[in-house]
Amino acid sequence: MKLSFYPGCSLEGMANDYCESIYAVFKDLGIDLVEIEDWSCCGATAAHSLSEVMSVILPARNLAAAEKMGLDIICPCSLCFNRLLFSQKMIKKKIFHIPWHVTGNIRVLDMTRFLAKPSIIKLIKQCILKPLDSLKVVCYYGCQMVRPPKITGYADYENPQTLDHIAAAAGAQVIDWSYKSTCCGASIGIGRREIVESLSKRILQKTQQAGAEAIVVSCPLCQSNLDIVQKDRSQPPTPIFYITELLRLSFNDKGNPKWFKMHVADPVPLLKAKGLL
Amino acid sequence: MHNSISDPETATEHDPCEQRELIGDRGDYFLNRIQGETGVNFSACYQCERCTNACPISGFMDLKPHQIIRYVQLGWRIRLLKSSTIWICLSCEMCTTYCPNEVDVAEIINHLRMMAASSSITPKEKSLAVFHRTFLEELIKSGRINEFRLMRAYYSKPDILHTKIKNGTFKEEFRLAMTLLRKGRLKLSAPKSKAVKEIQKAYFQTRGEIS
Repeated sequence: MKLSFYPGCSLEGMANDYCESIYAVFKDLGIDLVEIEDWSCCGATAAHSLSEVMSVILPARNLAAAEKMGLDIICPCSLCFNRLLFSQKMIKKKIFHIPWHVTGNIRVLDMTRFLAKPSIIKLIKQCILKPLDSLKVVCYYGCQMVRPPKITGYADYENPQTLDHIAAAAGAQVIDWSYKSTCCGASIGIGRREIVESLSKRILQKTQQAGAEAIVVSCPLCQSNLDIVQKDRSQPPTPIFYITELLRLSFNDKGNPKWFKMHVADPVPLLKAKGLL
Repeated sequence: MHNSISDPETATEHDPCEQRELIGDRGDYFLNRIQGETGVNFSACYQCERCTNACPISGFMDLKPHQIIRYVQLGWRIRLLKSSTIWICLSCEMCTTYCPNEVDVAEIINHLRMMAASSSITPKEKSLAVFHRTFLEELIKSGRINEFRLMRAYYSKPDILHTKIKNGTFKEEFRLAMTLLRKGRLKLSAPKSKAVKEIQKAYFQTRGEIS
């Protein structure tokens, strides 16, 4: 199987560990990822805040590049996924002139939904060498991957299940909770730090109340918000794992501790205590 | 609660000296304009406040999401564009998702933000407005966003560094940046997208400039 891969800007910088773990996991699963050639930024919050045209044509360039390759896009970042789908919808409405040749017919897959397909789950289960059965986790989806359901196509947007299925396949004990898609504060920390802190701290508090030791995420911004809010180390750390980091850990006897060094809330003590590292 | 209206002793006429805001500074013009541009049916809103209750940050807002809808219906343009709500909205889409009448509240707030950005009104949340602008400028410059370059450009904007030092957040953010640098998360340089020329051309065309 071959898919085109749109990493997005975060995966080059703050979430470099996520990018590496995705490549490692897909290699283990035997799925080829081809990075979209010359990919560019999707415009993120800034483009749709300031210019409607830019918020359509910036993702359209990447859609055009993937169409040239003829491969469905797999998208690990929630916001990129949302923006690509939004752009596709607008392209089909033919409201704006798009400077690139693009039909909008290529499929944009959110990475977690792709991995949660029954056929891929079966593949994941075959790859597992070291089940994570002692690890209690909650899965956190954030906003842009599931909402608005009209764009993302999630039918279970109130209680999404994709990450839960994948984490359960890796053997982790997945705990059900009510804060799966509550906002973490997104990029507002730039100007109003107190808002992001109040929202992220509440999610961490609810994690502890649910009895989980770690959070599994798939969005780079959610990860950095939930991770960075723990920088004062006032409480025992709640590690925030990318789903692919956990998968890779269960696929491989020796995970890659290099990735875990990038976390602010250090996951190594927890994993060592559980005998997973 | 004591009901002052039904009590003839305390019931008063409407104060004739009170300054009342006109409904719609330009009649239906503003409502029709936003309705046309966003495609949202404003008369579907019956002020059930479900958007406000779903909003994770309505407590921080000066105008609550349901008020935004009402103000648009009344044509109170200036009040809307001067509010902090349009800048601190996280676009988490809770309001849109839970509206029983499919009023796309998040899209309306987003649209108002775009209007405010292209108007002469000074944004109430200046730091956020400047950040969005800087983000777009950096994007046009290199096609992709590098966090370090972005933050450097952001801090060199007028007033930003000054305000951050004054309210004491700069020290904390500097310390955070050092931690991230040490952890290898903050990359000092990143490759530019090869498509940067195409993007610049498209961007200038959207602004009516021919390059």
